[in-house]
Amino acid sequence: MSLSNFINEPILELRRREARDALQAGMAALEPRLPLRVPMLIGAERTEGDDLVSTDPGNPDRPVALAPLATPADAGRAVEVAAAYAPRWAATPASDRAQALVRAAGWMRDRRHELAALCVRECAKPWAEADGDVAEAIDFLEYYARGALALDRGATIIQVPGEKNTMRYAARGVCVVIAPWNFPVAIPTGMVSAALATGNTAVLKPAEQSPGCGAMVVEALRAGGVPADAIGLLPGEGDVGAALVADPRVQTIAFTGSAPVGLGILRAAAEAPEGQMHLKRVVAEMGGKNCVIVDSDADLDDAVPAIVRSAFVYAGQKCSAAARVLVHEAIADALVERVAGAVQTLQVGQADSFGTDLGPVIEREAQERVERYTRLAAEQGTIAARHAGALPERGWFCAPTVATGLPQGSPVLVEEIFGPVLAIESVRNVEEALDRVDGLPYALTGGLFSRNPITVERVAARTPVGNLYVNRHITGAMVGRQPFGGNRLSGTGTKAGGPDYLLQFVEPRVVTENTVRHGLVV
Amino acid sequence: MSSPGDAEVLKIGRRLASAFPSTSRHPMKAIDDRAMDFASQDAELRAALFRFVDVVPACRSLDDLARHLTGFLGEVDDKPMGLDMAMRMGNSRPGRATLGAAAATGVRHMAHRFIVGETPKDAERIMRSLWEDGVATSVDLLGEATVTADEADRYAVRCADALEALAAVYGGLPARPALEADSMGPIARANLSVKVSALTPLLRPDAPDLGKRDAAPRLRELLRRAKALDAHLHIDMESFDSLEAITELVLEVLSEDEFRDGPSAGLVLQAYLVDSPATCDEIVTWARQADRAHPLLVRLVKGAYWDHEVVEAAQHGWSAPVFEVKADCDRNFEALTLRLLDARPNVRPAIASHNLRSVAHAIAANRATGADARDVEFQVLRGLGDDLQHALASEGLRVRTYCPVGDLVAGMAYLVRRLLENTSQQGFLQMQAEGHALEELLAAP
Repeated sequence: MSLSNFINEPILELRRREARDALQAGMAALEPRLPLRVPMLIGAERTEGDDLVSTDPGNPDRPVALAPLATPADAGRAVEVAAAYAPRWAATPASDRAQALVRAAGWMRDRRHELAALCVRECAKPWAEADGDVAEAIDFLEYYARGALALDRGATIIQVPGEKNTMRYAARGVCVVIAPWNFPVAIPTGMVSAALATGNTAVLKPAEQSPGCGAMVVEALRAGGVPADAIGLLPGEGDVGAALVADPRVQTIAFTGSAPVGLGILRAAAEAPEGQMHLKRVVAEMGGKNCVIVDSDADLDDAVPAIVRSAFVYAGQKCSAAARVLVHEAIADALVERVAGAVQTLQVGQADSFGTDLGPVIEREAQERVERYTRLAAEQGTIAARHAGALPERGWFCAPTVATGLPQGSPVLVEEIFGPVLAIESVRNVEEALDRVDGLPYALTGGLFSRNPITVERVAARTPVGNLYVNRHITGAMVGRQPFGGNRLSGTGTKAGGPDYLLQFVEPRVVTENTVRHGLVV
Repeated sequence: MSSPGDAEVLKIGRRLASAFPSTSRHPMKAIDDRAMDFASQDAELRAALFRFVDVVPACRSLDDLARHLTGFLGEVDDKPMGLDMAMRMGNSRPGRATLGAAAATGVRHMAHRFIVGETPKDAERIMRSLWEDGVATSVDLLGEATVTADEADRYAVRCADALEALAAVYGGLPARPALEADSMGPIARANLSVKVSALTPLLRPDAPDLGKRDAAPRLRELLRRAKALDAHLHIDMESFDSLEAITELVLEVLSEDEFRDGPSAGLVLQAYLVDSPATCDEIVTWARQADRAHPLLVRLVKGAYWDHEVVEAAQHGWSAPVFEVKADCDRNFEALTLRLLDARPNVRPAIASHNLRSVAHAIAANRATGADARDVEFQVLRGLGDDLQHALASEGLRVRTYCPVGDLVAGMAYLVRRLLENTSQQGFLQMQAEGHALEELLAAP
């Protein structure tokens, strides 16, 4: 079987009225079906319930999805089903598995407007972001389907007369996927489809904030032809995740989320209880404290909008979002003034309104966290800008904020806030900026604004980040174009949407056969 | 209206070409042309020079300037003689000071060719001399991008001040009947072109209403000022992202009662857009029912954002909103020319092209309608269309030169786009410079 070359699913051309109308029609079609009844899916078993409720962050009284709350015992049953089916799924031809993923992509494509609408409602993603989320999910399915086919052909290794060497990649077994809410369709789709494409069975625990979107991922895959026993769905909370991670039948854990949870998973996964005959592998994508360096030769006409977009769109709730700007002292005042002015032009409002830059943050705790850091920034430094417009009364809204003059070591400069707070620091030169970046435990994304090719090369060589963006915004990695993932405490160094991601989900096996018999090569 | 015959177009084109001034009268221009020619030979070198021109405003010292120049030239594999020497000069501080000074002078000299002055007042001498040569102007204020409300306000104030200054400059000039009236009525002397993207920081492709709402009060204020000063206010078109917002904003605000009896105003139709015939219909339909004292001036251009549109569409997997074959765009330009000529007297057509064929076609088409030669305006860009401007004026046709005004250094972004346009392989001026035969250049697209 061969598939056409991968191309990214085009995002909607929202500058055209028809595209905007189509999204609004998607919302109109979704609304009457809310709240969605989201099941727990273990093989053919389907359990409904309403102990887990996701709500619209812009209107917390409005439920979006109702799901049962899976228990640790459910986790054990789901792993059992997945483990029992794993040999059969691994034995299914790679091309059949790839076809199922491609069909799942088609299923999503057919429903992309409604799926985007669900992201808007359940996670308060502004329209363009929600559309991008769905397009990225489609990309992961198509990209990993192709990648798995290539992997199935094995690796090319050295051959000599009288010896036949083959290297192939086998599925590892059960893969547990613990997904975040901030890319509620794309990220679970990516992790689950990588596991499935390479012949592993999977159990998905979506974030408790976004069970509705998570359910769509499993629905798409099953509709595409992935057998029920190969993919389970456990709407639930931390205890279910912990039970999945601890289960000795689990081979691989794919996690995207915060660093503390990720480190806990890595620790737990290192345990090999009596009877477990393998090492668990953890693929972890964790937080960031992403810095944008602005040299004195930067074009502020470009840098200011790109920084504002990187820091504040989707209320800063992307792991790639900009948290710090390190600007050359020669242009620091001009940059702060213009960023501060641009922050006042941001549209803070309900996510379903075109033009909204920031909807609410995901939940009350997030709002409180952002407010805590904002207070700290005011105590330790100066608030250079705080969006002055009225915030909607209901919903977890936060005013986008810019802080300056913070002391090095301030938690505002070191800890991941995951909200619309940006710190701007003046530096003497790019070297000093690089030193500060180097002092951070995180190394996910970074940005550089400079028009000197020598500076660009110097920063690229020295910065530890997984994704460096030069003279553009630092969010919005595209599958196949910007393989995405961080280093240091930002993750295990794997690159989602990149050419070597699938290697995390397989084990390599080499067979060397002696083909000499009685001195003859046979 | 049907297209005029090619023989007629050829005849007019030949006549215009013979009225082009010879370069012997402009020795400095010949040097510029050679530099441009030199840069357009080699894509890497061209990229290096454009990137340099682009960064000049941000360089803090001659040393910094020289470091950038050598940085860019370092990326050119095949360095022509002379550039190697520049690279060697970049190795020492005194060498960099010399190199930086030379480069800064060169860029300023180039900028002077395109930018008529730092303020409209500074440009008075040039505007006066153009007027004496039978050439009107439309002034465009260069400046940084608008990302804050303050910047939008400051731009609006600069525009209002410019209207005052232009009215003062033009108020003192002698009568030039060919430039001051056509059969549809009087034509304002003072003419300012403004950009909606500078009048609001809120132009969002997916939310045109946001930018419209925010820009409208500033635009109204400028229209009031223009009306009081009897000046023309022209609203430029920009990238496709803002097309819907700008078109709707202009037509909606001009529909307001307050502006029924003035000022004269206009907008731009970009012929490179695949959808431009529909936009043309929309504009013409609006103009027919607008019931305004002044006809709507529609400046027909090819469009200056072609590369941007093509790249952006490719990056997103969209089909490009622009014609990707130059001949398609040229044909569309001619078709739109005919439609706009037909839309008189509700529309005042202005043909803004440096393509001799497009211009000759419009002249021929206008003649074919039996209309007065003044009933179509021609527009050119300062620094690029100077020869054509001269030829059109000497033919007694109404020609208006689009004159950027602003800080020479900060105007670099504008300069870069103009340079790119001039050195693109298919550009008319480039083909002309390469010595393509006149018949070839005047052939139907």
